[in-house]
Amino acid sequence: MLTCIDNSGAALVECAQVLKRKKPAGIGDKIVVVIQKQRSLGHDLSAAAQAAVKVRRGDVCHAVVVRTKKKYRRPDGSYIRFDDNACVLVNKSGDPLGTRLNSVVGEELRRKKWSKILSLAPMNV
Amino acid sequence: MMSGPSSLRSMASCWTSLTQSLKVPTLLKPTLLPTTFTRNFIVAPKREKRRIKIHPPIKGPPKNPLQALTTQALQTLDPNGTRQKMFSRHNKDSIRPGDIVQVRRRNGDPFSGVLLNIRRRGVDSAFLLRDHLTRVGVEMWFKLYSPAIEDIDLVQRKAKRARRAKLYYMRQPKHDFGSVANVVKEYTRRVRPTQRQRK
Repeated sequence: MLTCIDNSGAALVECAQVLKRKKPAGIGDKIVVVIQKQRSLGHDLSAAAQAAVKVRRGDVCHAVVVRTKKKYRRPDGSYIRFDDNACVLVNKSGDPLGTRLNSVVGEELRRKKWSKILSLAPMNV
Repeated sequence: MMSGPSSLRSMASCWTSLTQSLKVPTLLKPTLLPTTFTRNFIVAPKREKRRIKIHPPIKGPPKNPLQALTTQALQTLDPNGTRQKMFSRHNKDSIRPGDIVQVRRRNGDPFSGVLLNIRRRGVDSAFLLRDHLTRVGVEMWFKLYSPAIEDIDLVQRKAKRARRAKLYYMRQPKHDFGSVANVVKEYTRRVRPTQRQRK
């Protein structure tokens, strides 16, 4: 289970598979997820917000891991660890579904060529 | 079996022509001299004196090789010993777990946080900082002697000395310090301008 930090409409997703990797996914790795919980449920959603919701509960989607709880080693010997696992939904060509991210992402995305996600993020470490 | 005398390996010396006859020393009394003293000697060709080079005895490894390597590495990584002193157990004013520390990196933004753990392992010494960024807990291990670290600042001391060495309990929401951004902001406003003037 990971939190989804973009505004695509998903809040909590479950990892179904790690793509192109035999080990557990790290920051910058692509995974297949199933959306388990939607953000801002309820009928009080405005029409615009309703339109902004791009995914529904039960949808299968691709995502990129942006934070991991497992500490990740940087080339200079330092380690980074976040308090949660988080991802950003992307389509198959690698563009993020959402238009905004709401929390910090790992800097490893730069090396793994996810600069689109990095530019959306409010902060990166 | 073999033809020439030079091919006889077992011979100690080779035959040479008579080079000179030994002269009878004139100091000797004539009475002592035999009447015919004209024997020729074989004089061996002059050879350079062989000198066997004697090397000084090989120094054994230092008694504590790892210690020697560590001190050598620290001399290059931390020539002034400032960082060593900063985290030394014997220094009263050293940085201790619970303090708020800012690390200025050579490439990248400074990172600050509460010091949770100091891992003392010689050159590999490292410390763990914890902070909250956009309300997400972030922890970073830094190598103490890493050349990627420009400077380490002590921003704020813990009010009361922490009673354990590893403050992992601060990961629990109940004990979490939260974001140190405000404390660091206050510190930079207060201290950094004066530092700049000094430089």
